[in-house]
Amino acid sequence: MTPDDKSLLQDLEKESLICGRCGNCRSSCPVYRVIGWESASPRGKISMAKEIFAKGHQDSLTGDFARRVAQCTLCGACTRECATGIDTRNMWLELRRRLCQMGQEPQAYDKIRDNLLARKNVSTFDNEDRLEWAQDLDEEPEHLDRQEGAEVCYFVGCVSSFFPQAAQIPLAVSQLLMKAGVDFTTLGGEEWCCGFPLLGAGFVDDAREFARHNVAKVKELGIHTLIASCASCYHVWKHDCQEDLAGYDLEILHTSEYLARLVRDGCLEPQPLDEVVTYHDPCDLGRNSGVFEAPREIIRSIPGVSFVELEHSRESSLCCGGGGNLQSVDPDLSAEIARFRVEEIAATGATVAVSACQQCEQMLSAAIRKAGLPVRVMDVSELLLEAVD
Amino acid sequence: MPDRPWRGREDMEKIEALLQIKKMCAERATDSLFECILYARDLAPVPALLVDPLFRTMPDLVVRPADAEEVSAILKLASAAGIPVTPRAGASTVYFNTVPARGGIVLDLNLLRGVVELDEENLTVTVKAATTWGELEHYLNTRGLAPLSVPSSAPSASIGGWFTMMGYGIGSLKYGSLLSQVQAAEVVLPDGEIRGLTPESDPPLDWFAASEGTLGIVTRLKIAIRRNNPMRHYLLHSPNLGEIAEVLMVVKDSGVTPYNLHFTDDACVQAMHRQGIAPDGVSGGCLLAIDYEGMPEELAAAEQTVESLVAVSRTVSFLSPEAALEEWDERYKSLKLKRSGPSELGGEVWLPVQSLVPYLADIKQLARRLHLGLCTYGHVASPERAIVMTMFFADETKVFDYIIGLSLVKKIHDVGYRHGGYPYGVGLWNTPYLGRIFTGRRLAELRARKERLDPKGLLNPGKLYRWPLLLNPLFFAVGMDCLAGIRSLTGGGSCR
Repeated sequence: MTPDDKSLLQDLEKESLICGRCGNCRSSCPVYRVIGWESASPRGKISMAKEIFAKGHQDSLTGDFARRVAQCTLCGACTRECATGIDTRNMWLELRRRLCQMGQEPQAYDKIRDNLLARKNVSTFDNEDRLEWAQDLDEEPEHLDRQEGAEVCYFVGCVSSFFPQAAQIPLAVSQLLMKAGVDFTTLGGEEWCCGFPLLGAGFVDDAREFARHNVAKVKELGIHTLIASCASCYHVWKHDCQEDLAGYDLEILHTSEYLARLVRDGCLEPQPLDEVVTYHDPCDLGRNSGVFEAPREIIRSIPGVSFVELEHSRESSLCCGGGGNLQSVDPDLSAEIARFRVEEIAATGATVAVSACQQCEQMLSAAIRKAGLPVRVMDVSELLLEAVD
Repeated sequence: MPDRPWRGREDMEKIEALLQIKKMCAERATDSLFECILYARDLAPVPALLVDPLFRTMPDLVVRPADAEEVSAILKLASAAGIPVTPRAGASTVYFNTVPARGGIVLDLNLLRGVVELDEENLTVTVKAATTWGELEHYLNTRGLAPLSVPSSAPSASIGGWFTMMGYGIGSLKYGSLLSQVQAAEVVLPDGEIRGLTPESDPPLDWFAASEGTLGIVTRLKIAIRRNNPMRHYLLHSPNLGEIAEVLMVVKDSGVTPYNLHFTDDACVQAMHRQGIAPDGVSGGCLLAIDYEGMPEELAAAEQTVESLVAVSRTVSFLSPEAALEEWDERYKSLKLKRSGPSELGGEVWLPVQSLVPYLADIKQLARRLHLGLCTYGHVASPERAIVMTMFFADETKVFDYIIGLSLVKKIHDVGYRHGGYPYGVGLWNTPYLGRIFTGRRLAELRARKERLDPKGLLNPGKLYRWPLLLNPLFFAVGMDCLAGIRSLTGGGSCR
């Protein structure tokens, strides 16, 4: 579903009846591919949702069903395949919302919510420590923390802010912005989680509150260009904040889009790298937001790089397994999905696997390590920095 | 184990065999109601009120075998204990072809997936049977190759599944049925024997085409493929059915055979328009999509043919190339009209192509008489036959109306029969039409094959060969007519 596509989702009851059970969704579903039972397929879940919600058989709502609803990465592959145009991705979100209302959500979701409400981020750290990663910069930019009227606001995201293994991304983005002479800032300790984990867990009202807070802070600083390096943060800003942003002029870009622009404008000049590079499309950036070209443009702009597409790429890209809060409810399933993606990476002979999302990077890194492959996993900003340096 | 009507010593043997299979396949076997219930139906949401008195569709055990050897082991145990086995992969049909009629084991074959061998020089590919056509198409396309033909349900339909149905679809007009493309297959026979079959083997390969999984379980196929040639797409429109049908007939028999020839009638185009999915500026009339694949000179000759036909026609015109491409891109999404439902009912008819115009004229009359919006679309599957779908909208939540609506499906098939057509596929629900589908001699021949390969009648029982007592053609015809009569007395119901 691209941003220009209007969701056809009317209500869960009607949509579940519209499902033709053709199974187009099943072949593309990474969860079904691993689990293998019909109940794990999108059409199976819709079939059960139909019985429970459209036909009123509430007694069919079992813990098994709730578990299956949580076993989904929200990758949107099923939405793309649906023969009847059901916005299945939004359907899964709606199902999770209803299960929460009925107290049937997994315990892991409650933990996510409690932590987020307490700390405003997904980690166990204080939210005021959001810029600790910047201490690793040789030179900290002057206006990094909440600079009013900055040309660009970088929405760093929780994982990149707090988890050392993901800190390379904000470090690379910041260094590239500095090299290009961009006047940029962040929301510092006022950046709250984008709300995606809450939305994905079914706590829609809480997610709205987080989104409203972030929008208010951006407006307070008079920011008119916002960039995000996390594909899910980007998706939330682009799709779920629009109501709060109504009437406010804010250009929302993924960092790959902004960096591609800087390369195009000659503000960044990549030097040769001798690497075979492949690119993994993050679901929330590619299939669910329609951004396919910018990361590829950056990779292709680097002289000497040999770019190889994966067997499944762009709209038909396979999920890394890390989306939709799946890792918190079923980490083994997440890892198994990542393993399938890594098989495709291995088949390309790439020396570097690039993505544009810290979650994808983390999932693929772990699976590549486990497979013992000699492949480096990098964010597209890290690859560009290596070429510019 | 779930409740089952088994008693006595023989039934103890069945239970023991099921437990043995469950132990053998471990986490790939389940008897949990939560899982099994989803294997008790296919695409057709037929109400329990109608199904339960006739069949026991709930499997006792669902098993996902990992390979042909495991299929064989399961069939040996099932055969010895007398347990029915129903094979299932994409389950993308609507006649309960993959739904148990007598409980037993459902063999979910979806682990038998993937390309085994690609021979680019001789243009063949060997695949495991549950690989979907969508997967094979993707695999081949990324290597500059393509399947010769695919079903219109390619993203979900399995290669083995389409072979055991009739195997006609997109590309069949040019390249023939799937049977003509299959060079060899690995099949597990009902007694568990694994056999490699060819057109010359005993039993021969063609016994298994359109056998609906009643003679053996296909686990691997070697099929012919083609180079992925350039394509050219045309979408023609006309308010006049006769003229568009004339173009269809000429194009079908012209020097360059179209890869795909798909038509949509006026009622269907109107329904598409109401739903906002008709081509821009089109609110009615008929559509004809013509798709060619081939070398540049073939495409040029084809273009000349189509252009000259449109030039001399009074009412047929080209829609934009973008609309033609979109029509092609949406070829696997014929269910999109279901948004206007929420349910659809209809009949798929294997119709002589030359009967298309009189068939559609009679369907129009039927629609008027029944106050029903009958929409028709389909594609030409061979020089002689078209697969024609005539459908109407229904609402499965209104069970009484929905069951009555099912009676109208027979009316559609009756029109098809008057024009030399019969249902495309049998399964359970089309067994009352066996006398229309097969000659007596042919049916006897098919039954003899079944008797030879599956004397206990355990593999996909209830399908293809005989109608169940309550679905015998006489009862069925009277029952359906009564329901249709009730509909006319009560004023139509929610089917529209």
